Amino acid sequence: MPLDVPSHSLALPDGVDPQALVSFLGDRFDVVVEPVTSVSYTVVDTADRRLRGAGADLTVDGGRSGPTLVLREQVGAAPLSADAGRRKRWLIGDLPEGALRDRLAPIVEMRALLPLARVQADVQALSVRNRDAKTVVRLRLATHAALVTGADPVPLSPRLEVTGVLGYPKPLARLLGVLSTEVGLVDAPGSMADEAIAASGGDPEGIRTKVRVALRPDQRTDKAALAVLRDLAGMVEANLPGTLDDLDTEFLHDLRVAVRRSRSVLRELAGAFPPDELKVQRDALKWVQTATGPTRDLDVQLLDWDHLLAEVPAARHGALTPVRTLLDRHRAAALRALRRDLRSAAYRDAWRSYRGFLRGGLGPARDRPDAKRPIVEVAGRRVRKVYARMVDMGSAIDEASPAAALHDLRKRGKELRYLLELFGALWPSDVVKPMVRTLKGLQDVLGTHQDREVQADHLRALAGELAGQAGGPDALLALGVLVDQLDAEQRAARAGFAERFGAFAARDQRKLVTGTFRS
Amino acid sequence: MKVVATYNIKGGVGKTSAAVNLAALAAACGLRTLLWDLDPQGAASYLFRVRPKVRGGGRKLVRGRSDVAELLRGTDVEGLDLLPADFSYRHMDLVLDEAGKPTRRLGKVLAPLADHYDLAVLDCPPSISLVSESVFEAADALLVPLIPSILTLRTFEQLGEFVDAEVDRRPDIVAFFSMVDWRKRLHREVVQSLPDGRSDIARTSIPAATEVELMGVERSPVVVHAPRSRGARAYANLWAELRERLAL
Repeated sequence: MPLDVPSHSLALPDGVDPQALVSFLGDRFDVVVEPVTSVSYTVVDTADRRLRGAGADLTVDGGRSGPTLVLREQVGAAPLSADAGRRKRWLIGDLPEGALRDRLAPIVEMRALLPLARVQADVQALSVRNRDAKTVVRLRLATHAALVTGADPVPLSPRLEVTGVLGYPKPLARLLGVLSTEVGLVDAPGSMADEAIAASGGDPEGIRTKVRVALRPDQRTDKAALAVLRDLAGMVEANLPGTLDDLDTEFLHDLRVAVRRSRSVLRELAGAFPPDELKVQRDALKWVQTATGPTRDLDVQLLDWDHLLAEVPAARHGALTPVRTLLDRHRAAALRALRRDLRSAAYRDAWRSYRGFLRGGLGPARDRPDAKRPIVEVAGRRVRKVYARMVDMGSAIDEASPAAALHDLRKRGKELRYLLELFGALWPSDVVKPMVRTLKGLQDVLGTHQDREVQADHLRALAGELAGQAGGPDALLALGVLVDQLDAEQRAARAGFAERFGAFAARDQRKLVTGTFRS
Repeated sequence: MKVVATYNIKGGVGKTSAAVNLAALAAACGLRTLLWDLDPQGAASYLFRVRPKVRGGGRKLVRGRSDVAELLRGTDVEGLDLLPADFSYRHMDLVLDEAGKPTRRLGKVLAPLADHYDLAVLDCPPSISLVSESVFEAADALLVPLIPSILTLRTFEQLGEFVDAEVDRRPDIVAFFSMVDWRKRLHREVVQSLPDGRSDIARTSIPAATEVELMGVERSPVVVHAPRSRGARAYANLWAELRERLAL
């Protein structure tokens, strides 16, 4: 049962004076015109624009009582607000408890809310009334400018926001008709936030994690691979500043995923590249992966902290404080090392060299057997082979297999997943999507299995350091509970392996893979 | 969706004033709020300049034959919608009596709206009848305005006994003193005679104030047209108490 109130954002064409529009509306309708107010605000969202994706607008508005976060979601509903404090970024835990935080938490998760654009606006509220002097349409006329540091304000298109009132569709339709036919107003092409972000030099869509490269099945493998790698390199670069500034954990995560995907492309499509140069670049990317690994491992540990704590009796939580302190300290040290590495001349040189490699000039194709072959053939062959290898590896896993066997299978699974994510569009989606789904199901249990192993090992390794600290003995006892919990979760993941692998390696699935990804 | 009903067996005690002001305050806090004007006199609808007319009348609505979403009207307060009154509501007792499970009927009307609103405020007609019993079943809280006197306190206690005896799902019952005139000795004595910490009577009293009476002239809640007035501040305090109590 829809109760949505229709809302339209209309752009004023060039030459339409906002105040002339107000006069025009006053002549044609019973309009209450409020005084113009000047406001300035900051557009806030996560780097990957999660709030935009959820249809919400978050701003920091200035005010007498200090900066205020204001969340506008549903048209017709009053916004939620909370004290913003004076910060450069907000993690959910930084926000005051209350409705706004509760609403944002499931959308934002672990991402930081960041200021993306500053806007100054002159806003005039108007309401159209009926014969009973009741408001039946709300309007908001605004002229905006994006405030860009070190430059003149960038004017944005003036807009008229027209919002209906529930139960009064006719006055809205009449007003929209007049605005369209007599004034020439048209729907604004994007949101004001998007326009402001673009005017400030940002990408309104935010940092991407999905590769957006249009591939043709008959495209040369080397050209297709380079196009994908260039897109991935852009993601590494986009996430680097946020990683170094430690804005949130996901910049590093997304940077590492882009690097891992790049390594995967170089490995799986190795025949499209000159072997010597390939080795140099693969080694460079591996170095980045290694340099960033410890921080990410600790991020996983800390992101899971609340979840783990929930399994420990509340009376023991206090005893775990030294553990948490130690983890935070280790993470700070790992981040310092990461910063040192990623700010080093060695990194800059390696990245410059990699970018040069991606520009092409790979040398004669005769040294690169897959270079000229169609991408659909080469990538298809790899999907088939990696899948077959995974089926073999998984089939050999039984209760006595070491944890390393599951880890190796997971690494293969990542290869397959990246192949499908990066090149999957070359095959019918009704084959690729279910395959990704069963693969993801398998990878989830393998991921949990591996993460819990790493986390438990890490916690065990803290024991020596903890023993000598104040509260150490209590912390060690509580640590044991945490490690037991991690072990239990690892065992549960392992118990779920057979079922997930069964779905992944089912006879129908195998036939489908062989039939679809043939050379 | 939480449901709060302003109720008293007597008329002219401040039920509608409380309903419209608390609903407006809830909407201003960002809660998606619905006000259902159940009183055939349609005072709440009048205050919001909404015509007291429901297509198909109360009979179709209560019998589930109307699309309740189509009957809603947005008010001049953003975030606050109104299910208007209709003169046919004067026969609602009869309609309920003819229907199966009459005391569940009003709850059923609200059920399809539960995902769309955080709070529904029911402005009830003054009576004790099947309509009120159906309200008691639907409500999470009954908010009972009392003009300070010994008899009204007794009536309030009788209401509690009735609800305990007759209602399956007992709502939280909270009274508050309404139209309090501090110049009157009786008002002062009744309000001040209550023991501290009595949980079924709100700490906040609503004063008898001109600006509250002017709502009918302004045709808007006092919290909207005179937000800094004594009356508006009192409603804001009452809302704060209610919000905490209902965990809204």
